Amino acid sequence: MRAINNWLEKCTNKYDQSAGIYINFLRTEVLFKEFLKSRNTKTKVKTELGGNPMGVRVVTGRSILAAIMGLGVAFSAQAGKYPDIGPLPQLKINKAKAELGKRLFFDKRLSGDAAISCATCHDPKSGYAHPDALSPGYPGNGHFRNAQTVVNAAHKKVWNHDGRIGTNLNDMTREMLTEDYIMNMDMRIMQERVKQDPVYVKMFKDAGYGEPSNGSVRKAIPEYLQTLTSRNSLFDKGKMSASAKKGMALFKGKGGCIQCHNGPLLTDQKAHNTGVAENFDIFLDPNNHQAFIAFTMFQGVPDYMNLKRDPGYYNVTLLKQDIGKFITPQLRELKYTAPYMHNGMIKTLADVVEFYNQGGGKDSRKDSALKPLDLSKAEKKDLLAFLNALSGDQLTSDEHVWKGKYPAEYEVIADWNNVKN
Amino acid sequence: MKKVTKLRFTVLAAAITTTFVLGCVGQATAGGIPPLASLDTLDVPIPPDNKQSPAKVELGKILFFDPRIGGDASTGCSTCHEPDQGWAWSEDFSRGYPGTVHWRNSQTIINSAFYPRQFWAGSASSNEKQAKSAATGGVAGNGESDIMEARLALIPDYVTRFKDVFGTEWPLITDVWLAISAFERTMNTLGKHEAPLDKYLKGDKSALNEQQIKGKALFEGKAGCIQCHNGALVTDSDYHNIGVPPNKRWEEDGLAQITFRFEQYAKGQTQEGYRKAKSDWGFYYRSKNKWDRGKFRTPSLRYAAYTAPYMHNGVFMSLEEVVDFYNVGGKDEEGRTTLFPENMDKRIKPLGLNDDEKEALVAFIESMSGPEITMKKPTMPPYAPLFTKAQLQAAQEAK
Ligand code: HEC
Ligand code: HEC
Ligand code: HEC
Ligand code: HEC
Repeated sequence: MRAINNWLEKCTNKYDQSAGIYINFLRTEVLFKEFLKSRNTKTKVKTELGGNPMGVRVVTGRSILAAIMGLGVAFSAQAGKYPDIGPLPQLKINKAKAELGKRLFFDKRLSGDAAISCATCHDPKSGYAHPDALSPGYPGNGHFRNAQTVVNAAHKKVWNHDGRIGTNLNDMTREMLTEDYIMNMDMRIMQERVKQDPVYVKMFKDAGYGEPSNGSVRKAIPEYLQTLTSRNSLFDKGKMSASAKKGMALFKGKGGCIQCHNGPLLTDQKAHNTGVAENFDIFLDPNNHQAFIAFTMFQGVPDYMNLKRDPGYYNVTLLKQDIGKFITPQLRELKYTAPYMHNGMIKTLADVVEFYNQGGGKDSRKDSALKPLDLSKAEKKDLLAFLNALSGDQLTSDEHVWKGKYPAEYEVIADWNNVKN
Repeated sequence: MKKVTKLRFTVLAAAITTTFVLGCVGQATAGGIPPLASLDTLDVPIPPDNKQSPAKVELGKILFFDPRIGGDASTGCSTCHEPDQGWAWSEDFSRGYPGTVHWRNSQTIINSAFYPRQFWAGSASSNEKQAKSAATGGVAGNGESDIMEARLALIPDYVTRFKDVFGTEWPLITDVWLAISAFERTMNTLGKHEAPLDKYLKGDKSALNEQQIKGKALFEGKAGCIQCHNGALVTDSDYHNIGVPPNKRWEEDGLAQITFRFEQYAKGQTQEGYRKAKSDWGFYYRSKNKWDRGKFRTPSLRYAAYTAPYMHNGVFMSLEEVVDFYNVGGKDEEGRTTLFPENMDKRIKPLGLNDDEKEALVAFIESMSGPEITMKKPTMPPYAPLFTKAQLQAAQEAK
C-alpha cells in the first residue's frame, strides 16, 4: 500500500496542458485509500473515479447498465411502426411496504441536515415535480436540472434526464439520498435515525423488513413510487374530446412525435438532441454552478471546469455525438409539471408545441427527425388538447401523501444501558 | 461524490490499523519521566511536504472560518472550534452538523500541531489528515470533496490565493487540508501567549504564586499527574483508561443515541460490539484489542483554563471536578467509572488530597494557560460567476 501511495503522491495534481484535462491524482489516491481502509463499510467505493489519469472514461458499472438498458428498451422501431401509446400496465403493490415508503418520502430526516425530503423537490402539488426551472438543491447549493415528476417512474427503465441510471429504483433512490448536492445523507446516520423512531420500528416490522436498515429504506421508497401512477386520464378512459383526438392523430402523423414519444409512457426512453437552449442560470448562479461542477467532476466528464452547457447523455457514453442528448421524457401528467425540458427552459405546453412547430431548437447535432411542422393554429390547439388529455387525477390525497406529523424530537430509547443497540 | 451507502461491520480494518498504532505508543515509557518544560523547547513540527509560508497561513485561516468547507455551507471548522470558547465548544458533546450532535467533546486546536496524532483516540496521524476527516465526517462537517472543491473554484479570491500558494489553476480540496494545517501550526501558546508556567520554568520565579508552586509539587509528587502529563506539551501522547464514566446523555437524549450507534459503524465496530457498546471504546477502535477499551490520548493541560468541559465526553464541567475525580481514584461524584475497570491504569488510585491541596492543584493547572488567544474573524470572500453572459451566449451560438 505504501508503494502505491508513494507513486500516487509523486504524480499528484498534474495539469495536462495538451489534453486540457485536469488530472487530480490525489483525489484518486484518497479514494483508493478509502477503499482499502473501509472495504467492508463502504462497498460501492469508486470504480468511478473522476478525472482519471488518461482522460479515458472509467465507465461505471452503473453507466454501462444505463447504456445497455437504453439499447434494451429500443423497441424494434421500424419506420412508421411504434409501440402503441395505450394504457399503463398494473403494478403489484405491497400495501405495508408502500405505506412505509410514503412516510419516508415525506420525511426530512432522510437528508443530511434534516432540512429537505424527497417531496421538497418532487412536490405532489406540482405533479411530483418542482415548479422552478432548475430544481432546488441540498441547502448550500442549487441544482442544474429540472426536477422531473416521479409519477410513473416505476414504469420506466432509464432514469434521470441523462439516463445515467438504468438498473432500478433502488439505485435511483440511493442516488437521490447520497448525492452531495441532493440529500447528502450518510446512510449509516439515516439508518440510526430511522431506528430511533418507534413509528418506523413498527412499520418496518409490519412490512416484513424486520429491524430498520438502510437497505430496506431503499426498498420501501421504490415500493411507494409504484403507487404513483397516472390514473383516470381522459386518454386512458377513452373520453378524449374531438380536438384531443385530432391532436392524437397529429401526434402520430404530421407532428411525428410518435417517433420518440411512444409506448404507454409516450417515451422511447432513449436519448435525443432536440436543441433545447441552455439555461444560463446554471452558470450565472454560483450555487447552481457548484452543483454542476461537482456532478461533472464526479462523473469524470473531461474539461468540466470549462463546460458551458449540460453535456446530457454524453455524460454516460463520453461519445461526442451524444452531447446535448437527453432522454425522451414521458408525456403523462404534463398539466402539473411545468416548466418543461431537462432545464425548465420552456414554460408552457403551448410553447413546447411551438418549439416543435419550428423544428426544435438550434444545435448542430440536433436529431434529424425534427423539422419545421407547419402546423396551423387549430392543429396546435388540437395537439395541446391531446397533451392535456394525458394527465390524470392529481395524487394529493392521503392515499399518496403522508399527512401525519413527524416528531419534533427523537424519542429516547428507555433503559438504554440494558437494551441491545 | 456519494455518501457511504452500505453498512458492513469491519473485521479487516483492524489488521491495517495495528501497524500504524504500534509505531506511536509508548513514547514516554523509556528512560524515566520527561520533566515539565517550557513550550518553546519544542519546535512546531513542520512536515517536509507542507512548508509554512505567510500566504499559506493566511489562506488556511480564512478557510478555517469558512462554513462552505462542509456539507450545507453552515458548519466550518470554527463552528465547533469557536475562538471565544477556547477554540473548542463549551458543551459536553460538541455541537454536531445540523440535524446531529457529536459524541465527543470538541478539542481545542490550540497547540494541536504538537501532538504526534490528533483526536481523542489519536485516529489521525497529522493535522492534514485530521482536517479532511473533520470536514467530511457525518456528524462534523459532512462535506464531500467534490462539492467543496467546486465551491472554491467559484470564489475568485480563493482561486487567486490557491494559485499563488500552490500553483494550481483551480483550488484543490487536498490543498485545503494543507493550508488549514499550516494555519493550525501557528495557533499555539508560544510568544505572547506564553503561560505563567513557561515563564517560571525559564527562571521567572515570580510567575507562579505560592499556591501554584505548591500545586506544582503535588502535580509532580503526591498526586502523580506528571506520570502522564509530562514534558513540554504536558502529555505523554499515549493512551490510558483513567476511569472516565460514560456520559449520561446517552441514556437521556435520542439524538445522542443516534450518533452513538452511528459512530460504532463509523469506527468499524464488530456486529457484536455494535449491539452491546454502551460507552466510547476509545483506542480500541484503532487497535481492536480488548485491553484498549476506554483508553484515550492524554491531553495537554496547556490552555485548559479556556476549554471546559473536560475529558473525551465532557463529563466534567470544571477543573475542580476533574481533580475530585482523580482524588477518589477515577470516579465521578456518584461513584460512576469506566465500563472497563479491568483496563484502568494502575497509577490511578485514591490520592488523599485535602481541600487546600486540591485547590493548589487546580491553581497550578491554571498556570499552564496564558492570555486568551482571540482573533477577528476574517471576512469570507464571495462567490462570483465564472462565465459572463456574453461567453455563455457565444457558446450557445456555437452549438
Ligand atoms: C434537492 C432536490 C431533490 C430531492 C430532495 C430529491 N430529488 Fe429526485 N430528482 C431531482 C432532480 C433534479 C432529478 C433529475 C436529476 C437528473 O436528471 O440529473 C431527480 C430525479 C429523480 C428520479 C428520476 C425520475 C425519472 O423519471 O427519471 C426519481 C425516481 C427521483 N428523483 C426520486 C427521488 C426520491 C425517491 C427522493 C428522496 C429519496 C428524491 N428524488 C429526492 C431532485 C430531487
Ligand atoms: C427526436 C425525438 C423527439 C421527437 C420527434 C419529439 N420529441 Fe418531444 N422530447 C424529446 C426529448 C429528447 C425531450 C427532452 C428534451 C430535453 O429535456 O431537453 C422531449 C421533450 C418533450 C416535452 C417536455 C416534457 C417534459 O416533461 O419536460 C414535450 C411536452 C414533448 N417533448 C412533446 C413532443 C411533441 C408534442 C412532439 C411532436 C410535435 C415531440 N415531442 C416530438 C424527443 C422528441
Ligand atoms: C461539528 C463540530 C466540528 C467541526 C465542524 C470540526 N470539528 Fe474539529 N473536532 C471536533 C470534535 C468533537 C473533536 C474531537 C473528535 C474526536 O476525537 O473524535 C475535534 C477534534 C479536532 C482536532 C484534534 C485536536 C487534538 O488535540 O487532537 C483538530 C486539530 C480539529 N478538530 C480541527 C478541525 C478542523 C481543521 C476542522 C475543519 C476542517 C474541524 N475541526 C471541524 C468538532 C468539530
Ligand atoms: C495514567 C495517566 C494519567 C494520570 C496519572 C493523570 N492523567 Fe489526567 N488525563 C489522562 C488521560 C488519558 C486523560 C483523558 C481521559 C479521557 O478523556 O477519557 C486525562 C485528562 C485530564 C484532564 C482533562 C483535560 C481536557 O482537556 O479535557 C485534566 C484536567 C487532567 N487529566 C488532569 C490531571 C491531573 C490533575 C492529574 C493528577 C491528579 C492527572 N491528570 C493524572 C491521563 C492521566
